[in-house]
Formats: sequence, structure tokens, C-alpha cells
Amino acid sequence: MGQRVIEMENLTKIFGEKLIAVNNLNFAVEEGAIFGFLGPNGAGKTTAIRLLLGLIRPTAGEVKVFGEKMTPGSSSLRRRMGYLPTNPRFPPKMTPIKYLDFVGILFRLGREERVKRLSTLIRSVGLLGDSSREIAGFSTGMVTRLGLAAALMNDPELLILDEPTSGLDPNGRMSTLELIAELGKEKTIFVSSHILSDIDRICTDVGVLSEGKGIFSGSIKDMKKRTRSHVVRLELEGDVRKFCEALKPAKWVVGFETRGDYGVDITFASELPMADAVREATDLASRQGLDLISVSSSTSSIEDAFMELLRDEESRGFLRAT
Amino acid sequence: MKNRVGSSGQPSRGEALAPFWAIVQADLGGLFRSRITYGWLLAAVFIQVVRTLGSRSAGTTSSVVPSGLSDFVYIWSLVIIGLAASSVSSEAGELADSIMSKSVTRLDYVLAKFASRIAYTLICFSLVTAVLVGLTLRLEVGDYDALGLTSAVLLIALTLVTLTTLGVGLSIAMPNTVMAIVTLLVLWYAMTILFPVVGLDPLSPGSVLGELPGIVRGAWSWGESETVAGFVAISGVSTALSSAYFHLKDI
Repeated sequence: MGQRVIEMENLTKIFGEKLIAVNNLNFAVEEGAIFGFLGPNGAGKTTAIRLLLGLIRPTAGEVKVFGEKMTPGSSSLRRRMGYLPTNPRFPPKMTPIKYLDFVGILFRLGREERVKRLSTLIRSVGLLGDSSREIAGFSTGMVTRLGLAAALMNDPELLILDEPTSGLDPNGRMSTLELIAELGKEKTIFVSSHILSDIDRICTDVGVLSEGKGIFSGSIKDMKKRTRSHVVRLELEGDVRKFCEALKPAKWVVGFETRGDYGVDITFASELPMADAVREATDLASRQGLDLISVSSSTSSIEDAFMELLRDEESRGFLRAT
Repeated sequence: MKNRVGSSGQPSRGEALAPFWAIVQADLGGLFRSRITYGWLLAAVFIQVVRTLGSRSAGTTSSVVPSGLSDFVYIWSLVIIGLAASSVSSEAGELADSIMSKSVTRLDYVLAKFASRIAYTLICFSLVTAVLVGLTLRLEVGDYDALGLTSAVLLIALTLVTLTTLGVGLSIAMPNTVMAIVTLLVLWYAMTILFPVVGLDPLSPGSVLGELPGIVRGAWSWGESETVAGFVAISGVSTALSSAYFHLKDI
């Protein structure tokens, strides 16, 4: 097991004795992981990140970074961390060069190192042509790219990204995800998002937050497995009704349901492995002369797994209330 | 895991002060590039020139210099109030994103804010006062004592430093900039106008102005020493309390 870079222990934050933003959170992130921090809007992700950076103090519990307790005074810990906020706000009158140089000084970097890093980073995030323009005139995408450069200015061991693709066009989103995946090869990354496909694409591990509470923590594979049901979804070209007729006598089939004109969800016997169920279903389709468009486990997507976790949590909450 | 800087890696003194100086420089740079500063300096210098030239035939140093310095207490204090009381609260959005999430302690930030706003006030005050004193010494009847004249200028400088520290302190304590400015306005004019009525003359900038002609001529009294002690205490307490509050608050 890798060394733990982040440990949240019974972490709780209550604002003004009214709003429980983070409720008894227990997560750990290991070195080298790309940890996806998932949750719907308002789940408490940004509050947890602010606790992680020591910008706010926990009401109870604690957060440790690199094995040390994070507090507002932990500037030496923050020196090893990079942070990209959601829709970052930077001094509007500064230019990217000036701002990155300023950030470099805040991280106590020497002049030579600052100049070297800022020129590399400005080029990497595609702001070379705008490097002497004031930040005030930048688009959301440009501000996010500048934020990413600022987060990397100190070459951090731990990178914290809060909704890094928020407000980006598809192109910007794709290149940001590629950059995160690339950075993940040498850094530990903690990335919060409510865009599940982004998390599925780049993360190795995931923590799910709902109404301030942690409801799952583990690998993405475990998350999908946990909510796996015994359903295989086929999309077919041809006579789907004929295929359904052929399904009725099959012993491995428990039930089925059509989805639109060319989709069928087949529920199979629980003792049958998924791979066998897929083979049986595709063989049957082939024998009936249908062309296969796609095949998937109906709960193989992270969206389904996530929704299942939220539903579970909701029903548990209801049971607790009754 | 890399361990370049941890609890064991203490930065050198120069490195430790780097964030403080960076924030001071960035803040001062922003202030001196603003139109407010240009407008203020031009207007203040223009008024001092007109005042000095206008009293050329009848003025004395002990009357013209206090009159020129009173502008800072009654008029230009409005600019200082606006800039000091908005120093922290106005950048609340950027604060966490661009500064406090980096390797900066809260004390670095808050002391840098006090330092830059005090330096700004003193630089602007010095520029305008240099014109006032220079012209007065050249053109008016010289009924002054050099030490007295210096003391008078320094006393008003201290008064403005007190106003600035109160402003930055309120800006830290109050998240709403308008609220901080209004509170400081009320406080400053209460100190100037009402304090003498309730017997707190030494802490009243208005009373200090009344004593200035005598100080310029070399008459320093116990009352002025009380004023210096009072303003130093107010500045110190304001800085200490607001720094302690900033250390505890969520940002």
C-alpha cells in the first residue's frame, strides 16, 4: 500500500451552527493516485477542499496532508501543494507573467527558477500570445488555464483541482483531462467534479460525497462492482421482436425488457458470470440473424453506480428518520 | 515521497519574508497605478500651491502649514478611509484563490496589508507636505522652530497612520466593504468633532489641529505627548486585534 498523502478523519464543518457542510468525513488518498471527489452540487466538495488547504478550520475531526495536521498556519505543507479553484479569481490588473511570478515568490522560489517555470508553463497552457495582456480581459477558459499554470508553479507533489473542467468548451475540457492524466503519472491528484464521465476517464480511485457525508471510497472498479446487477444491455439491428421470442425459453434468462426500437435489457441468472451471459446473448442474436450494434452491462457506467449510491444513501436516511 | 520542504526544512529569513514583500509590492503597485492616487496627488498639490501663493503677503509659517495639514484630517482622510477600509474586504474573492492557498501564513498577509497601506498613506502625505513646507519656507514669514515644524508634520503623519490602521483593521473584521467604510467615517468624524466635547481632546484629530500653530513655533506640551501615546496605542491595539481575528477566521 502506498503512503497516505491525504487523510480525513471524522472531518466535520458546521457553518454558523446552522449548516452542516461536511459531516464526519473519512477519506484517504494514497500517493500516486488520481482521486476523484464526486458529489452533486452543494454536496460539500468545495468546503472539504478548503479544509484540506487550511483555508477554513474544521468544527470537529482533522485533515492530515503528508502525514501532518493541516491548519491555517501550515504554509510549509501548502508549499508542496497546488490548487486550482472552481472559476478562479485572480488580480485583474496583473498580466499572466506578473501573476505567475507573484505566485512563484509566494512559494519562495528563486528568480531563476521562477522565470524558467513561468515561461514553460505559459507555453504549456497556451497563453503565450496573451502573456502581456491584463487578466481582466480573459475568457473563462483562459482564466482556468492560467489557474492550472499557477497551481503547477511550485511543481507540487499534490495537486488539488476543484471542478477543473467547469466552464470549458469541449476542446478545452478534453485537453484539460489529457493534461491531468499526464500529470497523474508523477503527482498525486485530488480532483473534484460532478461530471461523472470526466472522473471515469482519468481517475484511479473515487470518493463519493452526498449532503456532506462520505458514502463511498475505493477504486472506480469497486464502485461499479458494488452496484453491479445481473443485466446485460444489447443494441441490435434487425427484428428485435424475433430475438425476444427466442429469449423466452432460454434457461439462463430470468427476464427481459425492450428499450426503444433496438435495445433489450436482459436479466440473467445470478450464478451465471457476466462474460458468459454476454456470450449467450450475442450468440443468440447472431443465430437470429441480427447485427449487434453495442453491448454493455446496464450498470457498468459510473453514472449508474453513482446514482445507485445516492439512492441507497437516500433510502438509508429515510429509514433512519422513521 | 519527495520531502523537499517539511517540518524539518526551515526557510531562511530572506525566504521567509518573501511572501510578505511580494504582497506589499503588489499592493503598493496596484495603489500607485490607480487613477485615485493620481487624482488625489494632483488635487492636493494644487490646493497647497494655491494656498501658499494666496497667503504670500500676509501668511506666516505657523498659520499656513497647520492650515495645509488640516486638509489631510478633514478632506483627504476620505480617500484614506476609502482605500484603507477596502484593503482586505474588497479582495475577499481573490484572497483564497490567489494568495492564501499558496505558501503564505495569515500573519504574512495581514502584516503586509498594514505595511503597504501605511506606506502608501505616508508616501502620499510626504509628497504633498514637501510641497507645502517647501513653498511656505520660501514665501512666508518664518516664525517657526525647525524641531517644532518637524514635530507638527510627524504628529499629523501619526494621526493618518492611526486612521489607516483602523481602516485596515475594520476591513479585516467586516466582510462588507461599504459597511467598513461607513463605520470608519463615523468613527473618524466622531473622534474629530465629538471627542473634544466629551473630554477626550488628546485623541481628537480636531484638537491636534488646534495645537499645531503653537507646535510649529516650538511649544510642545504634555497634551501632545498624550496624543502621541494615544494614537500609538490605538494603532497597536487595532493591528493586534485584527491580526488575531484574521488568524481565527474562515476565508
